[in-house]
Amino acid sequence: MRAAVLAATFIALVGAAPALVGAQAGDANAGKAVYQLKCVGCHGEKGDGKGPAAELLVPQPRDFTSGIYKIRTTAGKAPSDQDLFKVITDGMPGTSMPSWAVLPDKERWNLVAYIKAFAADKFKEAPKKLELPKEVASSAESIKRGKEMFEAIECNKCHGADGRADGPSRAELKDEWGHPIAPANLTKRWTFRGGASRNDIAMRLGAGVLGTPMPTFLDSVEKPEDIWHLTNYILSLGPDSPHYATLVTVTAVSDAIPDDPNADFWKKLTPNNIPLMGQVIVDPRNFNPSIDLVSVRAVYNDKEIAFHLTWDDPTQSTDDPAKKLFADAISLQFPPQPSSGTERPYFLMGDASDAVYLLRWENGKGVAESTANGPAKIAAIAGAEAGGKAVYANGQYRLVMKRPLVSKDATRPTFSPAAFMPVAFQAWDGGAGESGTRMSLTSWYYLRLEEPQSGRRFVIPPVVAILTLAVMLLVVRVANRRA
Amino acid sequence: MRKVIGTLLAIALVTGVALVANRPGPAGAQGGGTIEATVTYAGAPVVEKLKVNKDTEKCGTEATVEKVVVGANKGLANAVVSVPSAKGGAPKAVKTTVDQHGCKFVPHVSAMTPGEMDLKNSDDILHNIHTYSTANPSINKAQPKFKKVMAEKFEKPEMIKLTCDVHSWMLGWVAVMPNPFFGVTGADGTAKIENVPPGKYTVEVWHETLGKQTKEVEVKAGQPTKVAIEMKK
Repeated sequence: MRAAVLAATFIALVGAAPALVGAQAGDANAGKAVYQLKCVGCHGEKGDGKGPAAELLVPQPRDFTSGIYKIRTTAGKAPSDQDLFKVITDGMPGTSMPSWAVLPDKERWNLVAYIKAFAADKFKEAPKKLELPKEVASSAESIKRGKEMFEAIECNKCHGADGRADGPSRAELKDEWGHPIAPANLTKRWTFRGGASRNDIAMRLGAGVLGTPMPTFLDSVEKPEDIWHLTNYILSLGPDSPHYATLVTVTAVSDAIPDDPNADFWKKLTPNNIPLMGQVIVDPRNFNPSIDLVSVRAVYNDKEIAFHLTWDDPTQSTDDPAKKLFADAISLQFPPQPSSGTERPYFLMGDASDAVYLLRWENGKGVAESTANGPAKIAAIAGAEAGGKAVYANGQYRLVMKRPLVSKDATRPTFSPAAFMPVAFQAWDGGAGESGTRMSLTSWYYLRLEEPQSGRRFVIPPVVAILTLAVMLLVVRVANRRA
Repeated sequence: MRKVIGTLLAIALVTGVALVANRPGPAGAQGGGTIEATVTYAGAPVVEKLKVNKDTEKCGTEATVEKVVVGANKGLANAVVSVPSAKGGAPKAVKTTVDQHGCKFVPHVSAMTPGEMDLKNSDDILHNIHTYSTANPSINKAQPKFKKVMAEKFEKPEMIKLTCDVHSWMLGWVAVMPNPFFGVTGADGTAKIENVPPGKYTVEVWHETLGKQTKEVEVKAGQPTKVAIEMKK
């Protein structure tokens, strides 16, 4: 035992020696200890990506024994130590790989050394950095050229015409291990596995994503600088971050509310972006939800309230049990009556004692209202009050759902200005096999109808100003008389 | 049939003689023989059909994946016949060209000696060359419509699988062989290997789904050697 400890100490010391020279040389043995605490759950004892949690994860954990890594900045197949360090430090957005920035730098470098040891033969050659063409700053022309190139090299085949991961080859894509793999949604760059900076994106285009269908484009664009035009175009496809909302504000309008989800009316409103998670509380669970974001625009006038919802869904689908496909759907959930306190029904469609009201749209069926006492007890409400219209294009649904502000009965809520109304969201991508409790959802959020803006703000200030002036004149006159 | 064989024999003889006559090399290097291989398979052809959902003007509406192609007289196409142990003769580099045409790799199976090959894209749409190999580094390169030809290097002998992720049904093979003594069977299941230095060899047949078979042959200078090999599942 003592010999073993001594040996380990010796190896650790010898291993640590290069660390003194180059700060980035890790110690594989020390890395092993960290690996066994933090990494085995997914990546497995043998580094083969078959840890106990692996089967529930999409994408699957990396198999380190293959030596194949998605994120590289190198000209060869093997990533550099810095590439591995960056993934450990930043995690991989959109996957189950979290950021390990909580670990000290040294431990992360040790992990790099240990991970490389699983496929030592793949790391024999010193990595060579991939040289990208000279950077081109973003401009209207660059973005235009990027779009031309996007079309010429047919990025749409996988990523879709608008970049929403809905290309015609989507369903066929497999990774190196034969697992289905989804293309990146280029409009949500905060989910890019290797980071969303200009350089990250250009590097993925240049080097490709190893072990996936994403090929290298370095020599497959018309001119070398097209890599940067493409990068600038991809950056123009969506915002840098989802800017999640914490409160859904319902704007007061005096005009009629259009039914058409593509009407200009809606484009002028700021979206409230709400993140959705997989439902993992009741069976069957949804560990890998398809829909992760819904953008909500809401307005009301003196008669009705309307919700404009936008969400990405790569496949438009209706019920087709033979193919295990279901109808795409989305629903808004409210308590039937706003309560005065903080008490709200159970967020997962209520329970036996407290029901919720669901305003749901389903592809092929339209809008329906129901009362739910839990996901298994949903009853339609007779006498529809709500309606709506949806459009689907290039991997995105846009939907308008409307209902009267004031409800006729107690099963449906009445919306009043300046009051906080709980709201929750649920969504189903039927094309990904989601139905019933296999859904994406949110916990309770709050909705607030802003106070109607009356014309009084145009009347009262001038009246006050005139009155003040009159009083001043009066004071001056009185003073003059006295004198 | 006898006439055909006679003609072939005559051609082989003439070629052999011509080679002997032309060769200025050492006295030991005599004219090579020809191996005429016939590969057969008694089983049923395996052809998968898939509905195409894109690029139908180039790919057609139905894609076929020809995993086992059996012609007349049970002749098995797309099998690589080779003499891996043969040495000497005129060292010759054999290059190959694979075209991506009609969303298929044409030819489905081709063979080359280590070195460069050309990958053509005559479809005017995006393909990506995604290879599966172990001895050679695997590649995954986009070949957009304006990139008509790409050269790729394969240095080590290996059977390399070609795929395209854009059109998942596309499948092809490039056999990188250690020497130029090989042939790929045509629709009738025959392949001819010429100028094989005389000697006793093991002829190897490889097929993408039916695996490998071998047979011993003796090649005599200036003579055709017939070898019939039946592939089994």
